[in-house]
Amino acid sequence: MPPSVPDPHASDSELATLRGDPELARTFFAETFDHLGSIEASVLALEVTPGDPKALDEVFRPFHTLKANAGALGIDSVEELARHVEDLLDRARSGERQIGYAEVEIVLAAVDLLTSMIHDVEARLAGRDATDFGPKRAAFISAIEGLGDTIRADRASAAAPSREDDARLGPETAASGPRVDGSNPATVKVDTRKLDSLVDLVGELAIVQSMIHQDPQLQGRSNERLNRNLAQLLRITGELQTESMAMRLVPIHQTFKRMSRLVRDLSRKSGKALELVVSGEDTELDRKVVEEISDPLMHMLRNSVDHGIEDPETRRRAGKPPQGRLSLSAYHKGGNVVIAVADDGCGLDTDKLQQRAVAQKLFEAGAIPSEAEIHALIFRPGFSTASEVTDISGRGVGMDVVRRNVETLRGRIEIRSQAGIGTTFFIKLPLTLATVEGLILGVGDQRFVLPTFSVRESLRPAPDRIHRVPGQGWLVQVRGDLLPLARLADLFGIGGAVTEPSEGVVVVLEDDLQCLALIVDELLGKQEIVIKSLGEALVSISGVAGAAILADGRISLILDAGGLMTLQRNAASRAA
Amino acid sequence: MSTGKYLTFALDKEEYAVPVLRVREIIKIMDITRVPQLPAYVKGVINLRGKVVPIVDMRMKFGLPAREYSERTCIIVVEVAVRNSVVMMGVIVDSVSDVLTISTEEVAAPPDFGGSKEGGWVEALAKVKGHVKILLNLDKMLGADSELIRAA
Repeated sequence: MPPSVPDPHASDSELATLRGDPELARTFFAETFDHLGSIEASVLALEVTPGDPKALDEVFRPFHTLKANAGALGIDSVEELARHVEDLLDRARSGERQIGYAEVEIVLAAVDLLTSMIHDVEARLAGRDATDFGPKRAAFISAIEGLGDTIRADRASAAAPSREDDARLGPETAASGPRVDGSNPATVKVDTRKLDSLVDLVGELAIVQSMIHQDPQLQGRSNERLNRNLAQLLRITGELQTESMAMRLVPIHQTFKRMSRLVRDLSRKSGKALELVVSGEDTELDRKVVEEISDPLMHMLRNSVDHGIEDPETRRRAGKPPQGRLSLSAYHKGGNVVIAVADDGCGLDTDKLQQRAVAQKLFEAGAIPSEAEIHALIFRPGFSTASEVTDISGRGVGMDVVRRNVETLRGRIEIRSQAGIGTTFFIKLPLTLATVEGLILGVGDQRFVLPTFSVRESLRPAPDRIHRVPGQGWLVQVRGDLLPLARLADLFGIGGAVTEPSEGVVVVLEDDLQCLALIVDELLGKQEIVIKSLGEALVSISGVAGAAILADGRISLILDAGGLMTLQRNAASRAA
Repeated sequence: MSTGKYLTFALDKEEYAVPVLRVREIIKIMDITRVPQLPAYVKGVINLRGKVVPIVDMRMKFGLPAREYSERTCIIVVEVAVRNSVVMMGVIVDSVSDVLTISTEEVAAPPDFGGSKEGGWVEALAKVKGHVKILLNLDKMLGADSELIRAA
């Protein structure tokens, strides 16, 4: 059955209403994507309890709203497609048909197609080229019609959108506006840019507040009223800062729901029976982290299914249940949020990883690396992409990207793996991206901020612990480890700094693979700082992660441990 | 090039002009935080009420002899269009002179500089009451520098 709205003519007239009202268009897009998201989640829930009328309603209602909105705005192609799915769901509501695997597949496919189509409407509105969804829609609609004989062709192809639709909803649900749910406190939608600029302003307020607080003119005064008011100002600013940060926090459940969908698809594609156990989905994180963590999580789950979970036969022989078990959990731990991705598969094969590393000259042949060092190999770019390492270390493919993504969010990733039992990845993320705890360092007449998460320790080295090794540069002995040593002043070309390493302070930086001992003149303190990007955009000056405004209103650069290590290696290899 | 208001400033012996609509503010020279790995004429960044603004020394940029900053040294904060966005940048000048209305009749196209990159920096020359003012094209002059900070 061909779709009743021909595409070429539809494309322009569809945009007429939206074009005239950008605000309306924004709301429509935002709401529609919301609906599509909730449909996806609800239909997966429906699959578990197919007979539950409430669960069915949760799928039907957003579809109905979406269809009605699209219809009202004259976006006929979307309305038509949504109507077909709505019809299908309506028949399930009336008991005419059962929701089974095939129906869930159809609804999920509809969500995908509608998402692409709405994105296309957005693109067209922005003046970009249209994509022709005609054939896809036609194929989809005939797939719905092919689903069951109970569907009569004349009904499914009724050209005119039937306006008595609302009658089907019944009086109490007919209103398609936002529902006020008893369990949810009232909410408002706010443009994220407004939120960000509020957080920015509050950050500045806090800086000005502390500048006033530390003003030498006020320091000497002992006016009780003034002191009381200053203390009050300090308290309110602090609370304001906490509150505004909290507004950026959102629960991670939306991202986790997407993973349920992914695991379902993976199960179908790989032929492995899978179960995903989710916990801690109410854990709140910075909005940006929640958005950006989705790709790495998908990648890791995909890897777990591909390389971790064994096929059912192998699992049976190993005495495991045939169904592979994946778990996704989020929880708070020591000021951070941890997301754990676990599988009960075969675990990382450390022997094979090590052989591979020796072959690629990453380890010395006779070396005895620690388990953590071996596991960390999978994060190396290009490691284990070779075809002969199949069953285990295909995990290396793209894990370097995962690590980079996590690090961009100022997070860390750790692995715990046991052969035959499974692998767990722990992603440790900061609660908020707006601030970071930093160590303030002085070098020459400059100050820098080093995020405390990348500092292992700091010490004042005895002169006999420092060695100059030809071709390697400087090394320092810290608790038996020999670490490469570099002066920050040299890496950044700063004059007037301490030249003798033993007169300065050594700060040991670490990331998962390596350490670097950095010499600075002095440690000036530890402070919670508000992060700014350099020049209103992402910087990639090596060794610099951004800028911070310190309490005196001056800017200091925030150091990036990984970048400093690269700088040091380059400098050492030039010197060699 | 049409009639418009320009802010003029001095560098060495010459007078330069930038459209006043592109000027966000004029501030006294202040402490600048150095940023490594940038060309010497990019002096670093300052905090302008919570915004991080990169600063370019115009003397160094134009290859003029360096001079100590003085009481009259100013930072002019201007808007520069880069790709699709507008960023704020500061330029250090010897002193700020005046706001002038320059009319079309006073403007002449710049002489051909033989396609050198500095050539694009000059939009036109204006003769106001016998004095030559060099009208600068901020986007061409500073666009690439703001990119340096973004993607060095």
